[in-house]
This record gives sequence, structure tokens and C-alpha cells, in this order.
Amino acid sequence: MAVTPPTDAELDTMIRARLASLGIDLSQLPPGTAADPVTGSPGQASVLASLRSFVRGSVTTLAAFQLPAPAGTDPAHAAAYSQQPAPMLYPSISTEWRR
Amino acid sequence: MSALHRRAFLTRTAAVAAAAATGATALPAPAGAFTGGTPHFSSGAYVRPRPEALDDPTELTLAEAAWAIRYGKLTPSELVEAYLARIGTFDPVYQAFNTVLADQARAAAKAAGRRRHTGPLHGIPLAIKDNYWTAGVRTTANSYLFQDFVPPADATAVARLKAAGAIVLGKTQMGPLATTRATTPDGRITTVNAWTPTIPGTDPGGSSTGTATSVAGRMATSGTGTQTGGSITAPSNAQNLTGLKPTMGRVSLAGIIPLSYTRDHPGPLARDAKDAAIMLTAMAGEDPADPRTQGLPPLPDLIEAATPAFVRGKVRARRTRVGVLPGYATSAPRQALLATLDAIDGISLVDVPLPDQWDLLTGTEFNNVRLPERSEPFMPYLRTDLRGFGVSLTGWLQGALLGSNEFLTGQRAKLLLLERVLDQVFESCDVVVQTSPVPFDILGLPEIGFPIGFTAAGVPVGAILGAAPYEEDRLLSVVAAYQAVTDWHWRRPADPPAPALAARAMTASDDRGRLTAEEVAEQTQ
Repeated sequence: MAVTPPTDAELDTMIRARLASLGIDLSQLPPGTAADPVTGSPGQASVLASLRSFVRGSVTTLAAFQLPAPAGTDPAHAAAYSQQPAPMLYPSISTEWRR
Repeated sequence: MSALHRRAFLTRTAAVAAAAATGATALPAPAGAFTGGTPHFSSGAYVRPRPEALDDPTELTLAEAAWAIRYGKLTPSELVEAYLARIGTFDPVYQAFNTVLADQARAAAKAAGRRRHTGPLHGIPLAIKDNYWTAGVRTTANSYLFQDFVPPADATAVARLKAAGAIVLGKTQMGPLATTRATTPDGRITTVNAWTPTIPGTDPGGSSTGTATSVAGRMATSGTGTQTGGSITAPSNAQNLTGLKPTMGRVSLAGIIPLSYTRDHPGPLARDAKDAAIMLTAMAGEDPADPRTQGLPPLPDLIEAATPAFVRGKVRARRTRVGVLPGYATSAPRQALLATLDAIDGISLVDVPLPDQWDLLTGTEFNNVRLPERSEPFMPYLRTDLRGFGVSLTGWLQGALLGSNEFLTGQRAKLLLLERVLDQVFESCDVVVQTSPVPFDILGLPEIGFPIGFTAAGVPVGAILGAAPYEEDRLLSVVAAYQAVTDWHWRRPADPPAPALAARAMTASDDRGRLTAEEVAEQTQ
């Protein structure tokens, strides 16, 4: 069953709550869309709009990505194969110890 | 225990023991305590100057200045004074530096003049990007967050350059926290492209903007930058320079204010391939303060690689296959580049495909996997001082929103992408043209940016080549051969016109335009 995409209001609540759980309070920023005249930092409404877009774009795309299985793999085994590739923070450096 | 593991263990043990003995923190601090040894500079690092360049020391390449100093034709003090004179006259327009260390540079030059010759960097004045720690000198990363930060030590890369004899002339303007072209932390444009000093709208390249403008504007012999998303190659391309982003780990990141720790690459912005080779030879090496530098292949002789061979008056390059991606040759300068390379003995062109899922795996969403690396080390600042991030804030908040699942998926995708690049691209070529620096920044692979022409408006046009891990020498040899048969890299911008200088003298600050937080979020490296 397809999940209903979150509304703007739901995302705003999620974003504020996630940031608050890390100790980040968006109310440090000016209310509305106007940037802080002294520092140029964005207003709360502007930054929330940008963060909603980020969640809908990058978070969703990355979350949906499944690492590919080898060509010819039985589709029934694709999810199992997708668990196998190793994550690599430093791919170029890893080539040296993978020789 | 393998040789690699044993070596890393011993290095770490020695660093911890040394720290414990002094009562310092157990973690190695960036204090220039590198163990990579004295860099080896082969004789090709010294190049007899062009006769016309001897009249103005600021025109000399690093290799030419090294020759002139070594053979007594120029003193470090004369070189420093020549640059300080240009900075005094022209930097009010260029705004490449945020700190000029005139007194310290003069003292260092005087000391260099008395000291035994130490190598090609002996007495060479450099511009240092302001995210490199400099002991006792304010290091801001052009951010409110670091506006009063005076580091207790040099970044390892700075310490290595100084140990090789270089002189720090000043700290250069950069994009706030290394995000965009150089602006003030609230987004007001500062540094201009040295080729169009009266047109602030011309992109000077970012975020190593000030270093690029200082070298292009002949206010420093060479300089340092960092690249996370094109910040060495882009300003080099924009300002007719040769910029070398080495493989991740070649140069220590210890003592460099981070932007994205898996992708921040320190490297040089220089006047040509030979100068870039000299700079990287000094900067590269193992550092106990940065485990990413340990256990890597030895640095090849970059200076030899950047010294083209001639056979019967014709340049002969190391045998190299240059990969050409689909759709690359879309402009006259790119077509001319490929034709010129193809005509060089030893170089051949070969068509290579874009790896599978290239657009997806190198696109915006997968590129954004880097953003938690931005937020995590900045958590104390995010909790207490959001406005202190100025126009750069949004990327740091985005990073805090990306979950661990998505982050890990991104790390898996990086290895997938690397394997496809190695299997599908480098299987049939040695270096490959780039249409964007970002894919190889994601992977930590080396790239070189170099000049290939100009637009009709007189703005430089550049190209980027990429290579497999640790093959900086391949890149340098191709570009050195190209520069042996072209003259783009010899061209220098005209000085800012007198009216611009007069206008700058009359006003403390002018309106050069301003980037908003939304624009920074779109453009950030």
C-alpha cells in the first residue's frame, strides 16, 4: 500500500521536532521570509520551505534507492543481494587496501 | 598484523605517547608534526626564467623564481616586496586577501636570505586560503563563527610548505565556510575575477576565490585551496590557472576547518603544471594527525612528471589514453583541446561511456549525502548560534535532517560508483575529461583544472581532467605536454584600470552584489 506523502504542515512539524531533538531551535532565526538584516541568515519560513524541499527530494530519493543485484539475478533475490554491498566513506583510499 | 596495520599502529602509538608525555590531549593535534619526511624535489623544479619575466619578479612562475633565487638573480626580500607593492596598489579592487602579513613576510624573507638554500620553495611567497590554520594568525573560514579564532598551530599542509622554505604572504578571501564564491559572511560579494576586475558579476570561481585572484593578479607566486565540490578546479578554470586536487589522503586535512570531511581535498592553485607539482610535492605526505594520509602509495616524482620531454624539438608525452565522455566536445575550446592533445606524440584519444546510472549517482540528491558531514562537527554552533552561519546556514540544517539510513545508502552508492568508474571508464583510458568536478569529488579521485582558451569577452575557459587513485603524475604529465605546445597559461590579466583604483580609494565599500541564503543553498560546494 502506497504511503500518503506528508503535507507541508506535517513536514514542518517533523522538521522542527527533529531539529529540536538535536538541540537546534529554529526560533533563533527571524520569523517569516525576510533574512536577518545583519547576518543574512534566512527567515524561519524561508528555511522551512527549503528544508521541506530537501526532505521531499534528497531524503526520499536516497531512501528509495536499492543497490542493484548482479545482472540476471532472480527478482525474488534482489532485496537480499542489495544488502551485500559495503558502505565506504573513502572509496579512493579503499582501493589501496583492496589491491 | 599486516605491514600496513602495524605501521598505522606504531604511528598512532608514537603520537599518543608523545602527547601523553607532554600532558596534552591523547589525540594528535595539527601542529606540523608530520612524519612524511623532507620532500624530494628533482632538478626540474628550477626553470631558467623567460628573459621578459626577469624585469618583474611577480611575473615569474614558481619554478622560475626558484631558479632566480637559487642562482642569486633574485632575493626573497625583493620578491616579497614586489608582491606587497602589487597588493598595496591593486588589492583594494581585487579584494583577494582578508589578512596581509606584510611584517611577518618581510621578516621571513630576510631570514630566508641569510639561510642555507632549502629547495625550490625557498623564499617563495604564497597565498593561504583562510580555512587553513595559521599559528597566531586569525583563521576565519570567512565566517562569523570563527571571526576571533586564532589557531595555536599551523595546519600540517602550511607547516610543510613553511618547512620547505615558503613564506606565508597572507590569508585569502573565500566563500563563507567554503560554500560559494567569496562574499562576506552575510553574502556581499568581495573578491572579483582578476580578468574582469570592474565586473563583479563575472564568476571568479569558488570557494578558493581569493587564492585564485591573488595568483592570477600576480599578488602571490602560488597558493593553497580546498576542494569539496570543485573549489580548486573551478576558480582555476575561471582565472586561467592550473589547479590540482589530489587524491583524498595525499594531503593532510589536520588543521583545516572542515566542510565535508570525506570530500575536503587540500591542494594548490598555480600558474602551470610545474608549479602545481612543486606545491603538491611539499604539501603531500603522511601525518600522524590524519589517518587518511597513512598507508598510501608513495608520492611519484611529480616534478619529473610535469617536465615534458622533447624529441627533435617536438614534445613527446608519456604514453597516455585520454578518455572522452559522450557529448564533451560541445564548444570550440573543448574541440581545440582534444585536437591539440591528439596531435601530441604519446597521447591518444579514446571514447569512453558514462558509467551506468551516472546521472543518478552523481546528481543533486546523491551529492547531498555529504551534508551530515557538514552538520555533525558543527553541532555546538548549530545549537547556540544559527545566525552565525550567515547566508550559508541552510546546508547545515539539511545535513541535520538526513537520517542514518539515507547516509549509509549513500556510502554504499559511493563504492558502487567507484567500481563502475574503474571498470567502465578507466578500463580503457588513463585520464578522462570531466564535465563537472563533483563526481570525482564524491569519490576522492584526483583532478586537474587548466586553461584552454578565452570567451569572446576575454574571460578564461578551462578544462578538467580526472584520473584513477594516486595518479596525480598522469594528470601533470598530460597537462605539462599540453602547456608545452600552447600558451594560454602564459597569459596574464591586465591591471585594474586607473578609474577603478580611484573609485576604490574614494569609497570604503561598494555594492558588488549580494548572494541570498537561497542562492547559497543552490550554489554551495
